[in-house]
Amino acid sequence: MAAASVAAAQPAPRPGPVLEVRGLRAYYRARHFGVVREVRAVDEVDLAVLPGQIYGLAGESSSGKSTLVKTIAGAVQPPLEIVGGSIRLSFRGGAVETSRAGAGELRALRWKHLSYIMQGSMSVLNPVRRIERTFVDFAARHIGLPPAEFRRLVEAHLQRLRLEPAVLDAYPHQLSGGMRQRVAIALATLCRPELIIADEPTTALDVVVQKRVLALIRAVQRELGSSLLFVTHDLAVHANLCDRLGIMYAGRLVEEGPTAELFRAPRHPYTRHLIASLPRIGDTVPREGLEGAPPNLADPPPGCRFHPRCPLATEVCRQRVPPLAPAGPGRRVACFAALPESLA
Amino acid sequence: MSVPLLEVEGVGRTFRTGGQLRPRRVRAVGGVSLTLDGDRPEILAVIGESGSGKSTLARMILGLLPPAEGTIRFAGAPVAARRGRQERLAFMRRVQPIFQNPFEAFNPLKRVDRYLFATARWLAGAGPDEARSRAERALRQVGLSLAEVGGRFPHELSGGQLQRVAIARALIPGPALLVADEPVSMVDASLRMSIVNLFRTLRDELRVSILYITHDLATAYYISDRIMVMQKGRVVESGPARAVLDEPRHPYTRQLKDAVLQPDPAAAETLEAALAAPPEEEAPVPG
Repeated sequence: MAAASVAAAQPAPRPGPVLEVRGLRAYYRARHFGVVREVRAVDEVDLAVLPGQIYGLAGESSSGKSTLVKTIAGAVQPPLEIVGGSIRLSFRGGAVETSRAGAGELRALRWKHLSYIMQGSMSVLNPVRRIERTFVDFAARHIGLPPAEFRRLVEAHLQRLRLEPAVLDAYPHQLSGGMRQRVAIALATLCRPELIIADEPTTALDVVVQKRVLALIRAVQRELGSSLLFVTHDLAVHANLCDRLGIMYAGRLVEEGPTAELFRAPRHPYTRHLIASLPRIGDTVPREGLEGAPPNLADPPPGCRFHPRCPLATEVCRQRVPPLAPAGPGRRVACFAALPESLA
Repeated sequence: MSVPLLEVEGVGRTFRTGGQLRPRRVRAVGGVSLTLDGDRPEILAVIGESGSGKSTLARMILGLLPPAEGTIRFAGAPVAARRGRQERLAFMRRVQPIFQNPFEAFNPLKRVDRYLFATARWLAGAGPDEARSRAERALRQVGLSLAEVGGRFPHELSGGQLQRVAIARALIPGPALLVADEPVSMVDASLRMSIVNLFRTLRDELRVSILYITHDLATAYYISDRIMVMQKGRVVESGPARAVLDEPRHPYTRQLKDAVLQPDPAAAETLEAALAAPPEEEAPVPG
């Protein structure tokens, strides 16, 4: 198969995680006349993504999920700073600490080992260049084939995403939104990267198109054996797509576990509320909303950041930060009320 | 039988695009009719994808865009025939909009309570003291208070809070109809249901009818009395909400319903089925 011969040897199953984030703190820091103002967008986050896994990251706006994936992708620019912790990416033939890597190191990594699918496909597609040129710009130097063979390879890959070869001769505006997003997915997967980060890739699409695009993302991911870090606020998407799910609230990971388990028996009161409030077709009984609003991250509440809205909050929640501690097989939760006494 | 609150009859609107060289006419809405009862308030959901014409319909009902064909009557009087400031204000007292993104609806440099006071003065004819009490009353109706939002700027509130302030503002003149265009699609998940529940309360307690425009079938099923499904500017199916969504007749309604992702990992196999289905209509590709 043409596509397989180009990518490096099939990645052998590795025991270790593709991505390992430890104690990561990423703050936005603004200095005004010597006064430092901090927004703690990501605070003490630990997570690991295994080879071939789809890891879902859920959270509302300003929960820090986009900042977290930006940091993982090495796109850290002032006022965002990595204050502490580490991000380690392991791939065929090496490992990189992206939190400390230089610009050149990151450039060699991007698209080949780590790629990105964004919400708006137009942020990767150049509006005045034919699609083929964009493929050449992004991937040709990583693949290193003569032009004719490169085009054949791209055409074969587009077929995985059910796109005609004629797409390569089109300009982005000639394609529908769903097709453009599939082109963006083809770009992100062409070099068979070990890790694909997808940040709200289907949020801008219509419902009918969304389901098909999600199905294609999963089919391609399974075929290539890549890991996928999938970020969206939409829990219905996570339920259908992800193997493992992490819930973020106010810059912290508050619960993590296998998706089916998390939906079946959520432990954190915030997760419990999110899952219970999802409307379903066929609902007749009212579903409860959650009162209050997420905290201001420039001045987060002491202790557990969820305590002002939490129905189970006690004195200890106001004073101490609950650690993200093991809670059953493959699961972790950061809540004093959900953990046994010994850990609290 | 009394006069219907809203009567839309065979309304259509075409837009011209493509500039001078290659003009094209796009039919955004065509032949749409609907009626809202005058005695019994109800929530009518208008469902469709982007480009289905639902927002154009909303703008015509609000009187922001004149229909090219057909008529819209509010409480018996044609909306397009309003003349002069007095008639326009009288209409705005009865029909109020709620928009998708509250951060765009409010001026970021103006404190949000100013909007409430201004609406009370212009539309409810209140003096300074009465404006305060009317604003307070409207905020209470949406579960907020002046103590919470008074003197605050839009960026100091969450999306859900700000959308509630937008609803409170719309309630001040005591409207009979709210036209809500995607009112919860920009609101966070944990706050969304409280806004959707608020619409039910407004219908039952304040007897306000609501035109709920959305692409989200689950919340439409949950709060509306009737549903109208639009595709490419035309109504393809309408009827009681439960009946339409439990047993959709039109293939497009069925397609929309099948596209809804159930928030249940046990139902995840349906994702693969999406690939077996015929592909969506696609734009022509040159070559």
